[in-house]
Amino acid sequence: MIKHQFALVKREVWEHRSLYITPAVVGLVLVLAVLTAFVFASGYQEIVDIGIVGAQNIAGDAERRAAMFALLMGNTAPFLFAGAILTIFYCLDSLYAERKNKSILFWRSLPITDAETVISKFLTAAVAIPVIGLAVIIVTHLVVLLFTSIYVSLQGGSSVFLIWKSAPFFDVWAGMLVFMLLLPIWFSPFIGWFLFVSAWTKRSPLLMAFLPLVIVPTLEYWILRTHLIWDAIQTRFEQLPMFKGIDPERLFDDHEFIADAELVSLIGYIDIGKFFTSPAMWAGVIVCGLFLTAAIYVRRYRDDS
Amino acid sequence: MTSLVTASNVSKHFGKVRAVDDVSFEIEKGRIMGLFGPNGAGKTTLLKALLGLTDCEGQLSVLGLDPFKQRKELMQNICFIADVAVLPGWIKVTQLLDFTEATHPNFSRAHAEEFLSRTKVRPDARVRELSKGMIAQLHLSIIMSIDAKLLVLDEPTLGLDPIFRKEFYSNLLNDYFDGERTILITTHQVEEIENILTDIMFINDGRLLLDTTMESLPELFAELMTSGENAEKARRMNPIYERDVFGKKVMTFENVDKEHLAALGEVHTPSVVDLFVAKVKGAAA
Repeated sequence: MIKHQFALVKREVWEHRSLYITPAVVGLVLVLAVLTAFVFASGYQEIVDIGIVGAQNIAGDAERRAAMFALLMGNTAPFLFAGAILTIFYCLDSLYAERKNKSILFWRSLPITDAETVISKFLTAAVAIPVIGLAVIIVTHLVVLLFTSIYVSLQGGSSVFLIWKSAPFFDVWAGMLVFMLLLPIWFSPFIGWFLFVSAWTKRSPLLMAFLPLVIVPTLEYWILRTHLIWDAIQTRFEQLPMFKGIDPERLFDDHEFIADAELVSLIGYIDIGKFFTSPAMWAGVIVCGLFLTAAIYVRRYRDDS
Repeated sequence: MTSLVTASNVSKHFGKVRAVDDVSFEIEKGRIMGLFGPNGAGKTTLLKALLGLTDCEGQLSVLGLDPFKQRKELMQNICFIADVAVLPGWIKVTQLLDFTEATHPNFSRAHAEEFLSRTKVRPDARVRELSKGMIAQLHLSIIMSIDAKLLVLDEPTLGLDPIFRKEFYSNLLNDYFDGERTILITTHQVEEIENILTDIMFINDGRLLLDTTMESLPELFAELMTSGENAEKARRMNPIYERDVFGKKVMTFENVDKEHLAALGEVHTPSVVDLFVAKVKGAAA
């Protein structure tokens, strides 16, 4: 079973090269953007002296850590955005393409159950995409910081002191790992839905995936005058139960940011207990399970080849 | 002899269309069975039921398993080629071997590599870069490297040129078939495989028209070539089918006294193709 899953997920990566090309392109764009920024910045040396990374005058450890934290997180956000889009397209393609190109007949000639196959597609979306993404994020961080070091050194600053000793690598990377593995669980109803559409639709999976997300809530409102489905979709995006509450009074003092090493931490804000005791999270997992079951059923029973 | 496949009263319908209609047969171990039928006769549906790809009514047992409910177990001992085009274009030859090795307990990678080394298929090529014939060779090399009890081939040589087709069947016979294994094959190119078959089945409109061994064909069927008055006499013996060839009448008979026929003209055993046409057209008439 585990050996099968490993082979099946590997197959997904072979087939969907976008799983690593997409983050690689994002990483490349970020590195180029940083390089371009330095090229421009070096033309205006006097002005950028007050900038964060080039400045020698950032006072305390916490401020430097905060600056590095911001730099690392800023170079992470684009990956999350790209990863979300990648996951949607991957899911919609994963059980659709094999029917379109008829390779499903070959895959089904091997001793693998439909459940194993569908689960492997879920694991690819929920685990492989985040893990590959994080690996590229880490490489991108290191490359960006390397170029930043060179820039800082050229400006006469100490890159070891300013960057390598200040950047909260472990905190950001470990925090991102947890975040990126929990996020797909929180959004698993969507992953399940997309996989189901991919297994079920005869054409245009993208349209078939998104139209019902608009039509069904609209119908609900017309007929029942309620908006439960829309609320459920909306709260999924608004109330991610993964972070500790942030007390603004601890962060700001008369609108001045209080730099505190304890506060500038991703891990410090992630609340795994809150996540796993969230009824909304478990409800989502159940919905995902139902969609996956439906996808397995459709792949097994539908005969359209 | 042991039956590998037992079908009794198997039916499958799509809406009102009966794709397979109350079919019963057995396939014994070590046989090479040819299943023939016109387009839309229900061949593929019947094969899909045997392979557990679709459910059906009636009793169906393949290697003692219920194909639909126990598909995973079944696939460990059964192989099939559904069509030459089913290998996905994006996969590399080495990846295909890696994947099959990881998922199929009875697959011998060494055997597949040995077979491929005799072809022009490069290990680092993607399937989409290969010709149709090479894809068929690749698929066959994988299938033949799986130690399976039953091999099911559905139009395995569709779209291949005659050289590849001949090679395909000679590989199948020489490298794969050992008398222990069992092969079930469907194709429209009946002439090319009739000499390797041990058994034949005809299916039309979902119903079984014929299920017999190749050896018993000469006993069961006769073809008479005659003309004029003799043709009239022969017609009274109820041929199942009659056609014209160069101004002469060719009639196909089932269960008929051959000596009696011989008095009326030239008698021989019909080829499988002619018999197929006679059975299908005769049944329709």
